[in-house]
Amino acid sequence: MESFRQAFQLLFSLDRELLQIIGVTLRMSFFSTTISCLLGLPLGALIGTRSFKGKSFLKKLIHTLMGLPPVVAGLFVYVLFTHYGPFGSLNLLFTVKAMVVAQVLLITPLVVGLSSSFLEGTSRPVIDTARGLGLSKAGTVWLCLSEGRSALLSVVLSAFGRSIAEVGAVSIVGGNIQWKTRVMTTAIMLETNKGKFSFALALGMILLLIGFVVNALASFAGKEPADD
Amino acid sequence: MIEIRDLKKCYGERTVLDIPALTVKDGEALALAGPNGSGKTTLLRLLSGLLKSSGGTVKKPGKVLYMPQQAYAFKGDLIRNVTLAGCDRSEADRLLEKLELSALAHKKATSLSGGELQRLSLCRVLSVDCELLLLDEPTGACDARGAELVINAIREYRSKTGCTVLISTHSPVLALNAADRLIILNSGRIEADGKPKEILTSPENEWTQHFIAGWKI
Repeated sequence: MESFRQAFQLLFSLDRELLQIIGVTLRMSFFSTTISCLLGLPLGALIGTRSFKGKSFLKKLIHTLMGLPPVVAGLFVYVLFTHYGPFGSLNLLFTVKAMVVAQVLLITPLVVGLSSSFLEGTSRPVIDTARGLGLSKAGTVWLCLSEGRSALLSVVLSAFGRSIAEVGAVSIVGGNIQWKTRVMTTAIMLETNKGKFSFALALGMILLLIGFVVNALASFAGKEPADD
Repeated sequence: MIEIRDLKKCYGERTVLDIPALTVKDGEALALAGPNGSGKTTLLRLLSGLLKSSGGTVKKPGKVLYMPQQAYAFKGDLIRNVTLAGCDRSEADRLLEKLELSALAHKKATSLSGGELQRLSLCRVLSVDCELLLLDEPTGACDARGAELVINAIREYRSKTGCTVLISTHSPVLALNAADRLIILNSGRIEADGKPKEILTSPENEWTQHFIAGWKI
């Protein structure tokens, strides 16, 4: 209970380090979710609405990558950005940018897999009706997205959820450096190991609070207006 | 005019549609009947361009509209559902009134019953002018009153636009009242072709006779 009291105290005292950690976490999660959705949603729409050779294999591959262990993604990005790696000259290792790259690698398959499964199941009647009315391809795609906005919002939220809660990949490529690449999950792990439970608990509660606020906002945005 | 020559649709070894020759005149209304899986929907989907044929040629007019068998309710109210095809609000109001849906105009389309949704789907497709109208079982979910409204709406649209109409149906009432010609399909092939009344009263062959006997007029 004492830890909970300390956690609340820390929250309301607006601790500088705590605010910095929250800022890095939100920045990283925002960019990794945005990039993953920009890459993953069009690909998911393509797989979900079209028939082509090799589709079954591609779906299996994506489903496999959806379960990619974060440490493996982290290791892969580490090898790419290490001093002797192919992108070593970019000097991105132990930066937030490298953490974003690792998360994009992890989250994009999730976005592709979830959005393609959703569109595969629900887009056919929308496409048939829209094309039957003589709407253009762009108009048909817009209708599909508009009809599926609640489900697609869930896809984006799942991506954000995975991003903000991820620890393995970001600790490998970010290095959990204080005032630089430390995010909430890596900080929780560190503070727990040091026995500083109040700080870890405060971060845990903020993590939950951010998740709740993001979900509430998304649910509001995806809400269909009521009847007149 | 629609001109079909050697039109085939196969799924692997299975041929679901095989029409050596079929011509439909401009402005003609043709009803397609037959048991489930006889190729009615396949023919309409091939003509709509939603399905690719396995062989043969089809000549058809440029502007084609297709109403699928599975009526879909887009998010939003009935007005939005009708106007998204491109018509203005007054035309949407007129069609909703014609199909007796005016009282529900501001309700969510997803809250409609099956028959209401089918009438809404018809409103949507009739809100745009075309040269060829393809309707897949437009009265499948309607009660007697709903079917009457649908038939009247189709007749009015025909006289307004002069378009050619193809309607797949399980309803002899629809075939008799909305079509000039009836084709009965059996396993993807044309079994009977003629005026609806003639086919219904004096079927040409034993299979058609047996099929017609199952229809309740």
